Order: sequence, then C-alpha cells, then structure tokens
Amino acid sequence: MDASTTGPPTGAAPTPSVRRASLWERLLASDHLAGWAFTSPAMFLIAVFGIAPIVWSVILSFQRNNLLSGGTWIGLQNYQRLLHDPMFAHSVRLTILYTALFVPISIVLSLTVAVALNRKLWFIRLYRTAIFLPVVASTVAEAILFNWLLDPYFGIVNVVLVKLGLPAQSFFQNPSQALYCIVAMTVWGWLGFCVIIYLAALQGIPRELTEAAEIDGATRWRSFRRVQLPLLGPTTLFLVIYLSINALQLFDEIYVTTRGGPLGATTVVVYYLYEQAFQFFEAGYATAIAYVLFLGILLLTVVQLLLGRKFVHYRS
Amino acid sequence: MSRSRTTTVALASVLVLAFALVTVVAAGCGSSATSSSSSPAAAASLPSPGGGGSIVLWHGYTDVERTATDAFVARFNATHPGFTVKAVFAGSNDYALQKLMTALAAGKAPDISYQYGSSMANLATSPKIVDLGPLMQQSPNFNWDDFFPAERLAATVNGKVLGVPALVDNLALVYNKALFDKAGIPYPTKDWTWTDFRDAAKKLTDPANKQFGWAYVNDGSEDTVWRFLALLWQAGGDLLNADNTKAALDSPAGLKAMQLLHDMAVTDKSVYLDNGNGNYLNLFNSGKIAMLWTGPWDISSINAGVNYGVQILPGDVTHATIAGPDNYVVLNNGPQQVANAWDFIQWFCSPDVHLQYAIATGHLPIRKSETKLPAYKEYLKKYPADAVFVANLDNVTKARPNIVTYPKISAALGQAVQAVLLGRAQPQQALTAVSQQINAILASGQ
Repeated sequence: MDASTTGPPTGAAPTPSVRRASLWERLLASDHLAGWAFTSPAMFLIAVFGIAPIVWSVILSFQRNNLLSGGTWIGLQNYQRLLHDPMFAHSVRLTILYTALFVPISIVLSLTVAVALNRKLWFIRLYRTAIFLPVVASTVAEAILFNWLLDPYFGIVNVVLVKLGLPAQSFFQNPSQALYCIVAMTVWGWLGFCVIIYLAALQGIPRELTEAAEIDGATRWRSFRRVQLPLLGPTTLFLVIYLSINALQLFDEIYVTTRGGPLGATTVVVYYLYEQAFQFFEAGYATAIAYVLFLGILLLTVVQLLLGRKFVHYRS
Repeated sequence: MSRSRTTTVALASVLVLAFALVTVVAAGCGSSATSSSSSPAAAASLPSPGGGGSIVLWHGYTDVERTATDAFVARFNATHPGFTVKAVFAGSNDYALQKLMTALAAGKAPDISYQYGSSMANLATSPKIVDLGPLMQQSPNFNWDDFFPAERLAATVNGKVLGVPALVDNLALVYNKALFDKAGIPYPTKDWTWTDFRDAAKKLTDPANKQFGWAYVNDGSEDTVWRFLALLWQAGGDLLNADNTKAALDSPAGLKAMQLLHDMAVTDKSVYLDNGNGNYLNLFNSGKIAMLWTGPWDISSINAGVNYGVQILPGDVTHATIAGPDNYVVLNNGPQQVANAWDFIQWFCSPDVHLQYAIATGHLPIRKSETKLPAYKEYLKKYPADAVFVANLDNVTKARPNIVTYPKISAALGQAVQAVLLGRAQPQQALTAVSQQINAILASGQ
C-alpha cells in the first residue's frame, strides 16, 4: 500500500510519545528569552540613566533636600509653592513667549532656505555647508560670538546700525531686548538642522508630481503650495514637535550668555530650576518644577499630534 | 496570541520599573544613611598616614597653576612614600560646588576638594565634610593663627573649621598707566578718595574712542555683589547686623555706595558694564578701559604690552577691600583617607612649600610667616604687583556672612545692583526693596 494515498488509520488515536515541555524548557526554547537577552544591555543603560533619575526626581520633588545632607518629606508643599511663586509664573511666560517665537520663525525660515537650496546652483555644496556650520559649533563658541557681536559698545551690529542712521541698541544689557536676542541666536544655531531635514524631504518628493502640476498649468507658487507643502506635512509635524520640546527646555544658550538676566529677563523655566537646585540648594523644589515642565511638554506634544492627525496627510 | 504578548509587555515593564526602583532605593539608602547627623564628622583619633592607598584631590587649576600643582604633588609623592596623592582637574572652579554636590549624592566624593569660600556655609550641612579644628589642635606645628584673618573667617562656619586656605586674594585697583599719561592725570595713590576715583574715571572716558574709565561685572552674580560690598564697607556700612538676623545695608553708608555706582554708570557713563566676566579683561588689554577693580588672578592674563600699575582701592571712611579666600575641603572617606589627606594638606600649606608654590604661580602667600622667609624677596621680584595685594590684605577687616542663606541674599543683592547700574532703579528705592527681600530670606531661614 502507498502511504501517501491513504489517510490516517481510523479508530486508534496516536499515542503521545513526548510529554509536554515544562515552563522552563519552553522559556529557554522560545524567542522571547533570546530577544530579551539581546536587548537587556540597552535596557540596563536606559533604566539606569533614564528611568532611575526620573523615578528619583519624583521622590525628590516631595522632599526638601539640598543634595548634601539628606531630605525631609514635605508632601505636596513644593507643588503648592509653585502655584504661588511669581518668579515661576514669570519664567513660564518667558518660556512660552520664546517657544512661540522660535518655532514658527525656524520653520518658515528653514523651509524658505531649503527651497532656495534645493537647486543646482554653483557652489551649492558650499552654501549647504555654511548653513549647517552653526549647528556643529559648540554653544559656548556661539555665545562668545554673539556676546561680542551684540556688545553695546564694541559690537559690529551696533556699528552697522549707527552707520545706517539707527540708534545703537543695548541688546543683552536691555531687559526688553535680551530674550529676542536669544531667539535670534538660537534660530541661527538651529537653522542648519531644520534646513537639512527639509532638504531631504523635498528631495523625496517625486518629480512626476511637480511636473504634472506644471503640465496642468500651475504657477511655481501654486505648485509649491498645493503639491509640495502638503507632502512636507509629516516633516513639518516632526520639526514642530521636536523644536517645541527643545525650545521649552532652553537652557544652554541662556547659561552661557545672560545667566538669566538682565534682571530676570531671560530666566526661563529650566534656568530657574537650575538656579533653585544648584545655587539655592533647593533640589526638591527644582524637581517639582521639572515635573510640571514635563507634564506641560507632554500635554503640548499630545495636542500637536492630535492636530497633526487631522491636518497631515501621509503618503501610503 | 495577543494575550501572551500583553503579558510579555506587562512583565517586561514591571521588570524595568522594579529594576529602576531598586537602583533608586539603593542610592537613596546610600545617601540617607549618612544623613543621621547633619554636623560634619569630627575626626577623633586617626591612624598615622600611610597604608599604601591613594587620595584624590579635585581642583580647577589651569595653565601655570596646574603645572605647578602637578609638580608639587609629584614632589610630595616622591618624598612621602606611605601613600599617593592624585591631583585631578575637576573642571572650572565656578562649578566646583555643583560637582562636589553631585559626587556626594552619588557617594563618590574625592578626599580633598577646592571650593570657593562662599560655598562653605552650605557645604557645612553635609555630614561628609571633616571638621579640621580637632586635627589642627593635634598638630601644634600647623599654627592656624598664622593664616590671615580673612581666610580664617571664610573657613569657619558655626565655630567649626571646615577648610584650609588654598588661595587668598582681594580686590585692588589695576590701572593702565599709558591711558593716565595720555589724559595727563597723576596715577592713583593710596589716599585716593571716591571723588578722586570718580573724577579720574570721567576724564578717562572718551565716547568717540569707545574708551571707558572703569569696568564693572554686571551679570547679577556674586561677582557683581562683592565689588559692591567693598564699596559698602568703605563707606562704613554692613550687609547684615551683628548676629546675621536682619539686613543693615539700608543705611546712609549703603545709600552712599549705591549712589556712587549710579553716578558713575548712569550720570557720568564712565563705566563699561560687562554682562559676564569675560569681556573686561580683553578690553583692558586693548587699551579701552583705564581702571579695573580686580585681583591677582587677572594679573597673569594682562598682555605684556600693557603698562599697568596696582594700587589699593580708593576709600571713603576706610580703604576697606574684600577678600575671596578659597579653601581645600576634606571629605570623610574613612579614617585612613582623612589622615592621609590631612598629612598632605599640612605639607602643602606649610610656609616653605607654599612660598615655593606662590613663586611658581603668582598666588598670594596664605600665611603671614611666608612674608618673613628669605625667599620672599625672590617672590616680590618676580611679581612686583603682588606686593600691593599682600599689603592690601591688611585692609580686609570684614568678611561676607558665612550663613546658609547667603546664596539667596547674594542673588537678591546682585539684581538690585544690576538694576541701579542699568539705570532701572533709583539707589534708595533699590536699597529699600532689597532690604525687604533680604529680611524675608533671613526670616524663612533657608
């Protein structure tokens, strides 16, 4: 008889010759264990450097602690203090103002520059490198540069303004101007990064689409507005979220230029919490501020993602 | 299928969170175990130095100072074979406090750390700082009284000596002789008054050439405050009352001091306001600023082409100046470590060794007896400007309050001085406001 043409013998069920494997044996043989074993070094690093400080910060925020002599538990007092702290409210206002200026200006400017650089010009590589250089420069170098450029007495900017017949400004020494100078400095510093991302996105747009628009009689502007801009939607959403998160956490540039001054005009939230922790020895209060900032950023990002879902079209 | 994946994810999250919690609790236990007493550990009876291990010294020296420190540490290691000293550059001294705080929180502090004198009151709350008083009593050769009064004041908190002077300096008047000659003004003398100073600054200011008579660090930090304190003390005033419970600067002396700043910066416009502390020296080197109130640390950065002179500060009631002593703080990493650290410090801060170090670095002598040693002549020949700074140490009669709330008081006063210099507040108005802020800070106690 040909075994391949006959089915299984009817009647008797096959006797099991292998017992069911134990939990441990199944675990060892499964893919799960191998997978977790491979990821555990990275997980360890994330846990120690990422999650452990986050958890410790929460604990600190319920204490009064100067980081030198242990802490005393004070419950929600730090958070209550936040609600009534005029300096904190001031720093929140400054941070929001800064973000509201930095993000839109960066996006619009970098998109313009990216479109301008998305062509075959002479020295195009030089222009692209020049645009990206500020991103590579260290924050301290940037700060020294701007400190001197904007010096009220010796800076080039004032020399040019005076030659043009405009009054000299005091920039970093003027409480009303200092924050806008920081906006200018950081826009300059981040432009290259955004331009590179937009350039990559622009070059990913299939040429057939723009050519089709041309054939249909669209002007350059309409072609840009109706074809390219919507296709840049995902990139714009990414940049808006990324830049917002960075803007809300602004610290480095403030620390190396104005140190929160003059007269508190550039004391943004992260600088305020740095002062609290490391100058006034109030680490508990500082971590409470950090958590409120974290929640604020989380909320903003969720809102941005929801709006993104509504307005951004992904090519599938 | 989805149920086993959910359980896997859940299990994984629980594991990660548990791991994180264990890490945190371990760290928390590590630091809180030492928080049982908030007073610095007293070194009772220590073993003799030795043991073959090594101690770590954290410092922020660069350039010449660093080469000298390394050389002296090497010399100590060669002549004291019982243990080794490792000198580690721990970043700029401006951040030495933050670094030490972080290290203490992580339980990995060095054995000796260079710290600003203004940090002492807050460092005193850490149980790991060693009270050096008993150690000094057990070492009769150490001679604590040999150190200048300003240093001893800066190292003592609540009667405990928590540091040994590493560096002492003070503010004096450094001026550009060429600019004085060009304007036809006689050089500053030791009897200069505030009026002489203001007049000279006005004459030395030339807007067309962007030249200023004086420069002031206007970043609102302690750098802004301590120059104002020198003015306040010169007018005979005080920052706080005798037992550090109330502000005392809203007085005729305080008003005089604030008024001088206002007159020079806002009325005469003879002051270059530096929004950090990096620009004024460059401008002085370029001949754009005629006078600085600064200390020995800037002298070595003055360009060779600048013909400068040093004089004591102009005075009002007195020619008081302010010192910024920095200390070596000893951390308690165990009795043998403390014994070794103390042994090294005694050697490093002994008169002969420190005078040699001063000759190598241009630092001022930290002990009065160093000025009586034969090698002192060599020191003065090498650093003629330092003679004025050393003599000026006699003008340091007061020190900043060594209290835990000083950082907040300094921040409030820094903003007030900044406001006056920028013309945003009138002197009396600023004084009244800052007095109220200081009283509130003192009342809250932290």
